[in-house]
Amino acid sequence: MKSIQATFEINGHEVTLSSAPNRTLLEVLRQDLGLTGAKDACGGEGECGACTVIMDGKAVNSCLVFIGQVQGCSIETIEGLSGNGDLHPLQRAFVEVGAVQCGYCTPGVIMASKALLNENPHPSDEDIREGLSGNLCRCTGYVKIVDAVRIAAEQQPRR
Amino acid sequence: MLEFDFLTPNRLDESTAILEETGGCILAGGTDLIPKMRNDLFFAPILVDLSNIDELSFIEEKDDQIVIGALTTHQAIAESALLKSTNPALVTAAGTVGCVQTRNRGTLGGNIANASPAADSVPPLLVYDAQIRLLNKAGERTMPLTEFLVGPGMTKLESGELIHSVSFSQLQGAWGGAFQKLGVRNGMAIAVVSVAAAIVLDASGKVSDTRLALGSVASTVVRSPKAESALIGHEPTPEVVSRAAEACAEDISPISDVRSTAEYRRHAAIVLARRVLEQAAAEARGRLV
Ligand SMILES: Cc1cc2nc3c(=O)[nH]c(=O)nc-3n(C[C@H](O)[C@H](O)[C@H](O)COP(=O)(O)OP(=O)(O)OC[C@H]3O[C@@H](n4cnc5c(N)ncnc54)[C@H](O)[C@@H]3O)c2cc1C
Ligand code: FES
Ligand code: FES
Repeated sequence: MKSIQATFEINGHEVTLSSAPNRTLLEVLRQDLGLTGAKDACGGEGECGACTVIMDGKAVNSCLVFIGQVQGCSIETIEGLSGNGDLHPLQRAFVEVGAVQCGYCTPGVIMASKALLNENPHPSDEDIREGLSGNLCRCTGYVKIVDAVRIAAEQQPRR
Repeated sequence: MLEFDFLTPNRLDESTAILEETGGCILAGGTDLIPKMRNDLFFAPILVDLSNIDELSFIEEKDDQIVIGALTTHQAIAESALLKSTNPALVTAAGTVGCVQTRNRGTLGGNIANASPAADSVPPLLVYDAQIRLLNKAGERTMPLTEFLVGPGMTKLESGELIHSVSFSQLQGAWGGAFQKLGVRNGMAIAVVSVAAAIVLDASGKVSDTRLALGSVASTVVRSPKAESALIGHEPTPEVVSRAAEACAEDISPISDVRSTAEYRRHAAIVLARRVLEQAAAEARGRLV
C-alpha cells in the first residue's frame, strides 16, 4: 500500500501530511493532529454524527471521508471555534442552557449547528431538528440542544 | 481496514484511462463504500477517487432534457430550483436520504451504482423514464435506467466504466409528480417502502400518461404496469386512484427482512401508492388550463 500525501487547511492553518490511504479524516484528526474533539461513537457507520466536522463549508461525517479525499479542502473542527479562548456563541449557549451532559456528542452537534446557521441563520425549531437529525445524543433528550441553537441564532444580527 | 492503493485523477479523461488501466473501484462520496470496507463486506485493491472531477457535478437543462452529473450530491439535488420545477419527486427523495451529513457527501451516481432496491433517487428517475450514460476510455453508451439495474447490488456497469450522468425529458402539459417514503422512523432511515408517481392529464382531465415506481418491494426498484394501465384514459377520481393503487400489489414481490415483513410492505405499498397518485393528480389538475 503506497502512502499518500494530503495538503489541506485545518482551522485556518495549512497542513501537509503523509498517511496510509485506508485511514479516515477522523482517524487523522484524532491520531496525527491531536484534535480529539470529533469523536467516533458508532464505529464509523455514519449513524451518530459525533465525528461531524465542516468540510468546505458543509457538515460531513469525518468517519466517512478517506484522508486522500481531503486534499485541497478546508476543514473546521470544534477546536477552531474558540481559537483565542473566547467561546463561540453556540458554545456559550450550550453552556448557558445546559445542553451538555456527558458531552460525547457535543462537538459534533455544535459543528452541525454551525453549518446549519451558516446556511440558515434564523432556523425554525423544525429546521433545527432536521439539521441535527444525523446527530444522536443519548443523554439530553434534545430539548436543551434545540433551545441552545435557537438562542445562538437569536443572538446573530438579523439579515 | 484492509489495505488499498488510492488514486486521484483530476480530469474525466484521466479517470477513464486510470479505470481502464487498473480496473480499480470507483469511490465517490464514500457513504456506502467506506462502511462496507470497514466491516470487511467489500474489498478493492485499488480505489479511484472521483470526488475531484467537477465535470461530473452538474444539473442542467439541454434540448428539453434534464441532465444530472453522477457526482452531484443529494443535497445539491434537494436544493436545485431547476429540479424543483421539473422533477419535484426527485427533490423530495433526495431530501430524505440519511441526514445532512450523508446528503452533503452521498452522490446520485453512488446511489444508482450501489443498486439497492431501497435507493431513494431511483423511483423518481424511473417515473421519468430516465436514461443513464456510461463512459469508458473507448467511448460511451446510453441505456434506460431500468435496464442498467439488474438486481440487489448488481448493475450493467462494466470494469473500466463509470456513470457519467442520468437524463430525462420534462413532462409536458398538465403534469404532477410526487414521492413518499416510509421508514422505521422519520429521520435517517432506509426505506421500508418508497413510491414515486407521475401523472399527465389531457384537456378533459383524463389521465393521458402515468408512471408509478416502487422501492424496497422487489429485487430492484420496479414500475407497476398494472397500476399505470388502471389509470390511463380515466379521470383520477378517488375510486380510480384506489383501484390503481391496489393493482400495484400484483407487480411487486416484497420480502421480510430486518426492516419489515412482506405483508406489511405490501399493505404499505398500496397506501403509499394511493397517496402519491393523489398528490400527483392534484398537482396535475392545478396545471389544467
Ligand atoms: C447514515 C446513512 C444513511 C443513509 N441513508 C440513505 C437513504 O435514506 N436513502 C438512500 O437511498 N441511501 C442512503 N444511504 C446510502 C448512501 O448514502 C447513498 O446510496 C449514496 O448516494 C451513495 O453515494 P456515494 O457517493 O457515497 O457512493 P460511494 O460509497 O462512493 O459508492 C457507492 C458505490 O457506487 C459506485 N460508484 C460511485 N460513483 C460511481 C460512478 N460515478 N460510476 C460508477 N460507479 C460509481 C462505487 O464504486 C460503489 O460501488 C445512507 C448511508 C448512510 C451512511
Ligand atoms: S463516528 Fe458515528 S457518524 Fe462518524
Ligand atoms: S450529552 Fe451525552 S450523548 Fe449527548
